[in-house]
Amino acid sequence: MSISGSPSPGTARRTWRLAVPDRTYRILLGVAGGIFAALLIAFVVAMATQAVPAFSKLGVSFLWGSNWDPAHNHFGVLPFAVGTIETTVIAVALAVPIGLGTALALAYLAPRRLRAPLSTAVELLAAVPSVVYGLWGLVAVAPLFRTTVEPQLTSVLGWTGLLGGPNQGVGLLLAGVILFIMVLPTMVAISRDVLAAVPHDQVEGAMALGATRWQVLRKVIVPGARVGLLGAFTLATGRALGETVAVALVIGNSAHLAPSLKANAGTIPSLIVSSFGEASGTQLNVLFAAALVLLVVGIGVNALARVFVRSVKRSGAASVTVA
Amino acid sequence: MEIPEKAKTHATSGLPVMNIHTEVTPTVQQTPSPPAAPKSRKRATRATRVLALATASAGMLLAACGSSSPTASTSTSTTTASGSDPYLAADLKAGGAQLTGAGSTFVQPVFTKAFYTYSSKNSGVTVNYQAVGSGAGITAFEGGTVNFGASDVPMAAADVAKAPAAYGGVLQVPDTLGGVTLSYNLPGVKTGLKLDAPTIAGIFAGTISKWNDPAITALNPGVSLPSQPITTVHRSDSSGTTYIFTDYLNTVSTTWAAGPGKGKSVTWPASSVGSAGNSGVAGSIKSTPYSIGYVELAYALQNSFTYAAVKNVAGSYVTPSLASVGADAAQKPNVSSTDFSIVNQAGSGSYPISGYSWALIAKKQSSTATGKSLVAVLDWLTHTGGGQDQSASLDYVPLPTNIQTLARQTLLMVTGPDGTTPLLTK
Amino acid sequence: MSSISFDSSLDPILSRRAAIQKIAASSIARRKVYSKVAISVCLLCLVVALIPLVAIITYVAAKGIPAWNADFFTQVTKPEGIPNGGVWNAIVGSLIIDGIAVAASVPFGILGGLFLAESDGPAAAAVRFSADILTGVPSITIGIFGYIVWVKTVGSYSGFAGAFAIAIIMLPVIMRAAETAIRGVPVTLREAGLSLGARRSTVARRVVLPAALPGLLTGVLLAVARGAGETAPLLFTIFGNQFFQANPTKAMEALPQAIYTYSSQPYNDLIQIAWGAALLLMVVILVLNVGSRLMAARLRRERR
Repeated sequence: MSISGSPSPGTARRTWRLAVPDRTYRILLGVAGGIFAALLIAFVVAMATQAVPAFSKLGVSFLWGSNWDPAHNHFGVLPFAVGTIETTVIAVALAVPIGLGTALALAYLAPRRLRAPLSTAVELLAAVPSVVYGLWGLVAVAPLFRTTVEPQLTSVLGWTGLLGGPNQGVGLLLAGVILFIMVLPTMVAISRDVLAAVPHDQVEGAMALGATRWQVLRKVIVPGARVGLLGAFTLATGRALGETVAVALVIGNSAHLAPSLKANAGTIPSLIVSSFGEASGTQLNVLFAAALVLLVVGIGVNALARVFVRSVKRSGAASVTVA
Repeated sequence: MEIPEKAKTHATSGLPVMNIHTEVTPTVQQTPSPPAAPKSRKRATRATRVLALATASAGMLLAACGSSSPTASTSTSTTTASGSDPYLAADLKAGGAQLTGAGSTFVQPVFTKAFYTYSSKNSGVTVNYQAVGSGAGITAFEGGTVNFGASDVPMAAADVAKAPAAYGGVLQVPDTLGGVTLSYNLPGVKTGLKLDAPTIAGIFAGTISKWNDPAITALNPGVSLPSQPITTVHRSDSSGTTYIFTDYLNTVSTTWAAGPGKGKSVTWPASSVGSAGNSGVAGSIKSTPYSIGYVELAYALQNSFTYAAVKNVAGSYVTPSLASVGADAAQKPNVSSTDFSIVNQAGSGSYPISGYSWALIAKKQSSTATGKSLVAVLDWLTHTGGGQDQSASLDYVPLPTNIQTLARQTLLMVTGPDGTTPLLTK
Repeated sequence: MSSISFDSSLDPILSRRAAIQKIAASSIARRKVYSKVAISVCLLCLVVALIPLVAIITYVAAKGIPAWNADFFTQVTKPEGIPNGGVWNAIVGSLIIDGIAVAASVPFGILGGLFLAESDGPAAAAVRFSADILTGVPSITIGIFGYIVWVKTVGSYSGFAGAFAIAIIMLPVIMRAAETAIRGVPVTLREAGLSLGARRSTVARRVVLPAALPGLLTGVLLAVARGAGETAPLLFTIFGNQFFQANPTKAMEALPQAIYTYSSQPYNDLIQIAWGAALLLMVVILVLNVGSRLMAARLRRERR
């Protein structure tokens, strides 16, 4: 307990007596860190134990069965898996170009003094709770879709065969657009950091060669930030895959494969939200199996994203704030 | 780190101890510390203090408000003479308990109002009822996470068998009566439509897809119907309202019986919009023009929906109302939890899509105190002078007298943990 | 660059130069046009990105502000037919649940951050990986996890179950912010403490953590902002409660849950209360977010 330079009696600090031996300290920290690993393991184990009976009772085929009819013991989750993929594709397909453009604007093109406040503004989109997104989408955006957006889109793009059916407002398209708004801040924040971190000597070299601003952006900066942008893209995808409440409110909740973009659909998270409360027995196991599949895909996507973003960090770029 | 003030002179030599920060290098700043640390540390300490103050005041606020009973606001009770049945007055003296119930959205408006009124008269008891859908209510009840469940269709024998053995059986108490309307949102058509069973089955099966389909126009001569496609709205969650509606369709249409059948969830066509809860369906109908869906009467009236007059067995077109639902129920006085369907009854004034809603409780309560409060509340809920007085104001039909008797007889069978002593003191 | 006029047809170099200058002149003109167009598109993207933010805030404010009156903040939720309803029980519930979640996750988060900042072996890599994965897990699965672990084992819904689920969401955020903040403390400070013979725990507690405190506070604020807005973890754990309930062992109400429940009611006054609650939640989270950024920026400026 003796420490060199021990204080003179009158000023003995009570807290010095609480100093723990170094080994205890390291063990304490190790335990704290281990909680995370333990949580993750417990999490996966809990999901898996509830999901395994589904596989033992139904085999694996229910994962691609397209008939979801629990009342008659049909548990095909394909419509929901496809719905999840479709909404994610729409969201990311919109988020990548618009997010990249926004990130470029925030990193290089916007007036210097406005860059920080505008960046904060875009990132505030991430601060809106998802239930508020769902409500706003249902009450404010769906009517707009039904009366304006969907008819316009159908008249312009109807030839693709993707836009058949009545204009309901709610449905796959609306869910995709709301998801796009929700993942946009993630995409923009990371892309902006990564784009701003491209080494300046390359930029200056290009400018010395007479490149215009856009040529510099397109040929030097964006390729230079390639890996980090890929990380942003995968992170946005991971976020879009797991979003629950907002999607459940605007997607129309159908148990069938959506025949068109304007049709109702379901995603795995929205399926869980609407049927978890009443599920029991095999249906409950199937829900857990679906959640497990979603989890595994989400883990894979996220792990990939972090690998990309961290490799950018380690290569010496400025610190990247990962959402 | 400051030098302790006392050590101004050396212990043995008596020479003054030099302050190495000031006297050794007098040109150096008096207190060399990391440039920003003190300010930020002070700021951080200030921030911590503000946080502590805020938490403390929040804590005090909570303590103050937590001690106030939920009856702080003025309660507008509609019950006049609770002394009309002296037994009910005794109910209200039941011991304190905090009960939880989950289930049907069909009954949510009347339940929440009734339980609120009960709590304002009997501050020891609060009944927290959450409308999660009949199916989820049954599951929660079987899982033991709530004191009672509520479902528009009683538990089937298979579900009863799944209940925990500790329950000693499940008792099902009828608690309210309501009608399922066919509400629609048809801009420009303000008069009530007439629909009959095959037409309704066709609309919801998707075979009748436009509003000006010949089947509909045949029933409604003189009404100009648009050629818009029909958007049907159904329940995405497991629902007793769906059961009552599909029970009706099952009875009247062999094609429906062969197809989706009846149940708390059935397979709807792909074009049908699924929404959660009676309120979700009501919301979808309200916001989607040219839509039609099935919602409980209270929700239809609250949203000022137009709803269809349905053709009953006697051949008359009847709109759902307290009177017509009551007439339908009166046609079948002997209801029980195994024989509960009252759809499509005879009588010219009967509204054919009606049903009771049931409360599910364990026969053997695990705690005498909680059990006593539970049966007292349910007894109050199911009788005139008690909860049934709330019904009419919220567009529910009060239980017929014989059903109230059935409710009490069922509640009398509830026992405490010992399995023998009835908890309802008569 | 003005060129002195020679007889270019006689000088191959000059003619070559003139040709190149002509090509360059048209090229630069073309590239400048492309550049302007592309830059305008990017700025347009920025505007497009900002439109939803403005739209949501104005819409929710327009719908929610009429609900904000004295009753809204002080009365509990009332059923349809009873006037003077409010969301007091939801506000208290959110405060309690989020408070417990923060109290549970801050110690582990900070200790975990210390662990990651001070060690670099495979154990640290495993912990970092776990935390990263946990951030990416869909919040509905965390809600189900909370249901299995807490509600099923205890036998009833409770505020603690909700706090448990929210704490899982907050933990990785706090840990990452703690690690970043602790790594930002100059290593010389830590070495100075160690060189005076202080134990590592003392150095951590007396030197490193106080120096990292601003970053830690920012991290906690961000974690609270993230956890307070989550709905899915609460749906299966706290059950909801129309009455006032401050006891976390019982079923409680919280703001996101109240919004979800009351927004789907058919009664206009209840829907308005839901919008008021949505506005309240959104304002609180936005303030927390902006506040934490401002604090981080100011403290970063001070340190320089």
